[in-house]
Amino acid sequence: MKIVVCVKQVPATTAQKHYTSDLRLDRTSAESVINPLDEYAIEQALRLQEAGTVESVAYLSMGPDQAVEALRRALAMGGDEAYLVTDGALAGADAWATARVLAAALDKLAPDVALMGMASDDAKGSLVPGAVAAVRGLPLLSYGSELRLEDSVARIRRLNATGYDIIEAPLPVVASVTDQVGEPRYASLKGIMAAKRKPLETWSLEDVGIDADDLHGAALTRVIEVRPPEAKAPTERIENVPAEEAATRIVDWLSARKLI
Amino acid sequence: MSDVFFLAEFAAGAPVHSAQELASGAAELARPAGGSAVGLAYGEGATDGAAGLGSWGAARVLVLGEGKAPAITYAAALASAVRDGGVALLAPATPNGRDLAAAAVGLLGVPAFGPARAVRFEDGRLRAEASTLQGAWVTVSEPTDGASAPAVILLLAGTFTPQAGSGEAAVEPVDADGGPLAEAHIVESHAEGKAAVNLEEAQVIVAGGRGVGSEQGFAQLQELAGALGGAVGASRAAADAGWVPYQLQIGQTGKVVKPALYLAAGISGAIQHRVGMQTAENVVAINKDPDAPIGEFADLFVVGDLFAIVPKLTDEIRRRKGA
Repeated sequence: MKIVVCVKQVPATTAQKHYTSDLRLDRTSAESVINPLDEYAIEQALRLQEAGTVESVAYLSMGPDQAVEALRRALAMGGDEAYLVTDGALAGADAWATARVLAAALDKLAPDVALMGMASDDAKGSLVPGAVAAVRGLPLLSYGSELRLEDSVARIRRLNATGYDIIEAPLPVVASVTDQVGEPRYASLKGIMAAKRKPLETWSLEDVGIDADDLHGAALTRVIEVRPPEAKAPTERIENVPAEEAATRIVDWLSARKLI
Repeated sequence: MSDVFFLAEFAAGAPVHSAQELASGAAELARPAGGSAVGLAYGEGATDGAAGLGSWGAARVLVLGEGKAPAITYAAALASAVRDGGVALLAPATPNGRDLAAAAVGLLGVPAFGPARAVRFEDGRLRAEASTLQGAWVTVSEPTDGASAPAVILLLAGTFTPQAGSGEAAVEPVDADGGPLAEAHIVESHAEGKAAVNLEEAQVIVAGGRGVGSEQGFAQLQELAGALGGAVGASRAAADAGWVPYQLQIGQTGKVVKPALYLAAGISGAIQHRVGMQTAENVVAINKDPDAPIGEFADLFVVGDLFAIVPKLTDEIRRRKGA
């Protein structure tokens, strides 16, 4: 069985972020990392490989040239090989274009499970897993807190309103997992060294069989304005007072705002 | 067509709160251009409850499917329902709403926006406003020229206020072949404890984090929430520790909430938590660490021992409410 984990490179949570003059996120200046929620998908795939359920784990990313760094980091955690789809025509790609491109690359790689994190730190739409499933015409198992594989089916455990469901679909599937699958491992020094020798292939749009003219400029959406959020009133502080006084002052504050 | 579609999820025989919110939001958005709000209902009770969405603003409701199944399995029906007409499709920014929105994007090649905190028509164009990069920026986006309709917009809970009225929506079934996305099915369902309060509906949330220390600590927060008429939520640390079920987790990988009052006790305010509650109208934080990050974005920051303050706060609120 084969899993391909989709990995996105994002600016580090703590990095300073900017928009470029054409209102796109500047992905070249900020310190970049693997999207933290994708690391859980990597962890899930590697656990299945260690358990012997899965023979091969590959990584797939779409992004600028420097996204190879994220793929090398993923390979340092484990897994066998990686693919980067990179093309000048993909700058500013939205969820739709990203899904089209990943779907085309996944069709080529034909894994039993295309596995993703539940959301990305920068875009936050959580749209890519479902859109990839729709484009590829495969079942979607989303927001799993665990992924299990058997001969010809995949199952996820997913929270419901009061507990959880087990949801099943026949392979091949597109799946996404949450941060409840288990803490991602750190790359060991040995893993980092080994990653340098693992195969990493770079594909253009043409390599995955997509004509750039069909991609509508890589986006069906455009940002027309970027501005800082409205300034908010400074924080009021209550400190160095006895608990009783703190409680009274909190209630006064709530009362003044008609919150009680 | 200037109709605005909205997803209307049903659970246990009734529409979920987002269905009411989006019905009113869709009606508001469609009205200036002479359109109507059209519901897309699915889930347990969708068939019988569809007409009732009329009281929240829906003129018509198309029933995508009935029963307990993963929301994604209604994707083909959704695509078939919105294919001919409609300028926008409003979806709740919940796991089910996102899955269906994503399927619409993949099946129809339509633009998607959000999670948005506002949506409007300006100069005849749909525009969605979102908070991005952990709240560092606000962006306004629109469909590119020539993009197909309807534009899909994910909306955070609390973006619209449900307007209760009267009236019944005209109900029509949708006939569609399920396709591959309908192949996922629930094989087991496990209930753990009582149904959690729906945090997305709560106007007051008392949330606890690592500093609450134990399940017993959360009992104190429950008391305070009771006095305030609100619900209890938690940070990921508290859910990971097993003090509360994951259904109460607020943050990037939990619920995104927008209450009138968010009272955080023993929560440091890491960015992952912040993205789940940053649109709350009023944030009060109690933390013993004067340098906790939550002190930088709370409206009222109380430095002190929550175990000493919370019970006194509960008593004081009860006393004034009783007065």
